[in-house]
Amino acid sequence: MIGSEGKKAVVFRLEPTTWGGTATNILSPITIRTILATAVCSGLLVSYEGSAQESNAAAIAEISQPQFNFLGFGDISYITRDADDPGGFAVGQAVAQVSASLDDSLSIFGEFSLTANDSSQNAAIERMIVKYSFSDLFKLSAGRYHSPIGYWNSAFHHGAWLQTTVSRPQVYRFGSQIVPIHFAGALIEGTWAKNSLGLSYMAGFGNGRHENISQPGDAGDINGDNAWMVQLSARPAKLYGLNAGLGFYTDKISQDNEPEINEKTTSAYVVWAKESPEILLEYLYSTHDLVNDSSVSGDVNSWYAQFAYRLKGKHRNWKPYARYEYTKVDDSDPLLGDQGLNYEAGILGVRWDFNPHAALKGEYRNEEYDDSGRENNFRVQVSFVLSKL
Amino acid sequence: MKTTSAVLLLMLSFVPATAVLSAEGEAQHPLAIVVHKDSKIDNLSLEELRNIFLANQQFWPDRSRIILLVRAPKSEERDFVLNTIYQMDEAQFRQYWIAKMFRAEVPRGPKIVFSTDMTRDLVLAIPGSISFINAQEVSGDVRVLRIDGKLPDEDGYPLK
Repeated sequence: MIGSEGKKAVVFRLEPTTWGGTATNILSPITIRTILATAVCSGLLVSYEGSAQESNAAAIAEISQPQFNFLGFGDISYITRDADDPGGFAVGQAVAQVSASLDDSLSIFGEFSLTANDSSQNAAIERMIVKYSFSDLFKLSAGRYHSPIGYWNSAFHHGAWLQTTVSRPQVYRFGSQIVPIHFAGALIEGTWAKNSLGLSYMAGFGNGRHENISQPGDAGDINGDNAWMVQLSARPAKLYGLNAGLGFYTDKISQDNEPEINEKTTSAYVVWAKESPEILLEYLYSTHDLVNDSSVSGDVNSWYAQFAYRLKGKHRNWKPYARYEYTKVDDSDPLLGDQGLNYEAGILGVRWDFNPHAALKGEYRNEEYDDSGRENNFRVQVSFVLSKL
Repeated sequence: MKTTSAVLLLMLSFVPATAVLSAEGEAQHPLAIVVHKDSKIDNLSLEELRNIFLANQQFWPDRSRIILLVRAPKSEERDFVLNTIYQMDEAQFRQYWIAKMFRAEVPRGPKIVFSTDMTRDLVLAIPGSISFINAQEVSGDVRVLRIDGKLPDEDGYPLK
């Protein structure tokens, strides 16, 4: 239940009924001053109402014009390790997003990044999407996307501020060879808005991986066989906060002087998106086999489980978290078997939202790359979002 | 002295209205969900309303775009909607919409309005709009939706 704002407005608007019956036949100096003071106040208030009406008119006019929106993300980390790899400060990606709705149905989305390397900055078009929405059930788009594989890749990706932890699971790291992080192509997607299960679908095709398999085929599909993908997800109304999905991706991969390889990836996730608690469970299974000899094959199994809990009351800006992640690649895998991608890690950390648009995270990580012995590291990251919201 | 008297008199002239405010400002009223008066929609379930406010549903059945108008922070109406419909606090609400825009699921966040008058004016002017106001401040130029088959003044209305 809410209080009444309208009665407050009556006081400030000086509506005639407020003054009814107060007139007098004797205009004493005090009365004259009173009337003058009232007139000045009334003038100011009329002026206020006029400007409010102008403001409303401007808002109405704005709605009918193309709408532009800007978001920016950035992060800076400090890492210390007990292994030989160098630690120190690391400037993460600086990301700018611009979106626009040109009319009720047509929208444009662009995402651009600057990424620090050893001695330079790489600029990239991360996403560029032109979308036409016929209805909630049918939206058609083309461009360069985050591949709709699993949950993390689409939900957080470049937005370090959006994710609870300092970094993403290893299987979704930038330049991942296991998951094609981006793809260029076309998608149809939609949501059965009236369905109590909150079912959504996404299906698409596009350029498969580049010869450098950590990159998408931005300039065309190198072997003429498109990658295909489909993802189904549910957000049941009765279990508000739950999000579960299942996806499939397939492609034929061609590399210089290497036999062609079929790739099939199945992903599944269950997410409880409310923050007290927040639960993320995700599983990914890939198979790779030679096109000309399917007996040469191998699998990739990868999963992670993340648990976080935003504290209540005066401590609500604090959010402790933990994650375990595991990736195992068969030695016989013709694409990835010799890449040293086995990985296991346990993570403990805490996030502190010290500002509505910025967070400080501290994270301890114990991890092991490809059976090479465990190592410890500690990371501190400040991440932020630039947004009018 | 005379100036002081004038100011006092001016202040006294507000007393009756201020008294009404004191008495009624504490009164509590249900929240009305309002749409453009030409809307074909008459009733929404609370689940459907939540889907619209979460932008999981972005189009009306006639395929026109839904324009969601949300009050700016620090209003009782907004606090009520965040608690009952979104079930989020301010920080979660902000993050929800930023994430929604980040995933390119919506091109923009909700349109922010700053007063009941502004809400009414925009709902009146924008055919696809939907918003919320104190039920006692509803005027005849906007349509009040039934939620789960109930109007704000009926028993069982879910937004009380």
